[in-house]
Amino acid sequence: MSASNIFAGERLRGTAASVLPLALILLAWEAVCRAGLVAPTLLPAPSVVLLRWIALLPDPDFLHHVAQTMIRLLSGFAIALAAGVSIGLLASRGGGGLLEPVIRVLAPIPKIALYPAFVLIFGFDHASKIALVVADAVFPILLATFHGARSVEPKLLWSAWAAGASRRATIFTVVLPSALPSILTGCKIALLISCVTVFLAEMISSTDGLGHLLIRSARSFRIVDMFVPLVTISTIGLLLNAALVAVRNRLLVGHGNHR
Amino acid sequence: MKSALRKLGPAASTVLSLGALLVLWEILARLAQIDGFPPATEALVQVPLILGERESLASIGASLWRMFLGGALALCFAVPVGLAMGRNKRIAQALNPVLTAAYPIPKAALMPIIMLWFGVGDLSKVLVIFLGVSLPLIYHSFHGAHAVDEKLLWSAMAMGMKPVARLFKVVLPSALPDVLLGCRVGLAMALIVMISSEMIARQSGAGDLLFNALDMALYGDVYAMIVILAAIGFVLDWVFERVRRRLVHWAESRQDAMVPGGGV
Repeated sequence: MSASNIFAGERLRGTAASVLPLALILLAWEAVCRAGLVAPTLLPAPSVVLLRWIALLPDPDFLHHVAQTMIRLLSGFAIALAAGVSIGLLASRGGGGLLEPVIRVLAPIPKIALYPAFVLIFGFDHASKIALVVADAVFPILLATFHGARSVEPKLLWSAWAAGASRRATIFTVVLPSALPSILTGCKIALLISCVTVFLAEMISSTDGLGHLLIRSARSFRIVDMFVPLVTISTIGLLLNAALVAVRNRLLVGHGNHR
Repeated sequence: MKSALRKLGPAASTVLSLGALLVLWEILARLAQIDGFPPATEALVQVPLILGERESLASIGASLWRMFLGGALALCFAVPVGLAMGRNKRIAQALNPVLTAAYPIPKAALMPIIMLWFGVGDLSKVLVIFLGVSLPLIYHSFHGAHAVDEKLLWSAMAMGMKPVARLFKVVLPSALPDVLLGCRVGLAMALIVMISSEMIARQSGAGDLLFNALDMALYGDVYAMIVILAAIGFVLDWVFERVRRRLVHWAESRQDAMVPGGGV
């Protein structure tokens, strides 16, 4: 499965075929704008957005906002990954009876509603946004780890134990490797959730970051500048997703065909 | 302790863990002594007060109504699209890149742009929810329809069933477990998009109530609103899961049904 085709059930025929429909939409959008069918204050042409985006990319102020978003996004995801995998492993190895009901209560809560609480507790700076990213991203990783570790072939564990491996050692040598495909699937979901969450948090209350850029442009009705942060965060999301797929292909070399 | 909890069954253990979480909150808040982190008891007494107020109750009700509308529209649109994609390679090839590109866009973040187009009224809010719910629903319907056993379709064809009838009598039923999984993810998405778009637009609704309380430094109210929204999320999910299990009890239980928010 190619890196960018999240919806592909099977490999598509070449990149040309997969890019064509998107190109057609962009062309139609461009044509509608060029023909003056919509006011440029309501919908800018894609070429205008693209040019502004390219012009802004070397701008230090813009890069500062991108960096702020990336710091929050990546540290939140890293904490969620560490916490999710360890809690998931713990829950699958015996702690499940206690942890499962707690997870069942916490998982369906819309985490974004917790954001005001995080702002009150952690302040308006990085910490509250990172906390929200962690709260949102931890559950897909945790649940994926839990199910992955649960479905480890028992025979593998028995043989490891019979060969004299301690229970603690088998967690790292048997359980974690065989849960890896599932964990990486959880990571994929969590990474996109992290991108969306950090952006929303910055839109709701922030003084910097890409989400704040969108709100700032919206206040002064600068429509082109409203599209630029959206394009940026979506590109970041697609690039991070592609990076994760690359990591996954490398890690899962011995795992057979895992989609 | 563990086995005792297991024996109690899921309902009792859920209630127990809920109680444990509230006790933990109470203890942490009393230890932390921060103004912005009141104990659970202080927040919980505000819940009936907020729900007793006509205005806030109407506001929450209006939010839920918009969420329902957006979700229902998405259901009518996304399920047929997803099923068609799953059965027809051409449609899948045409729509796949578009959906892939749309996938990482934060839907609630479109709120300011959509408000420019359609005003600050209900239409914009319903539209954003519709967009947020549609993608996971298309995705899961697509996978469900894609995995339909070809032999079932061949037998239906051999018996002379027309394409439309095949879609409703063969494809939809066998894709139902996946479609309903998509609905569950979509339900979580609808609530998230509803709250976040109301927090961004700050016009009306539950998300706005939450941030008004924050602005006025009514910390008890902030946490009470969080409790109310969390309860809505939990109850909706619980009710839907019961309905889902009843509808597709014949299908093998799928473990990934527990993964929430898959596909923001």
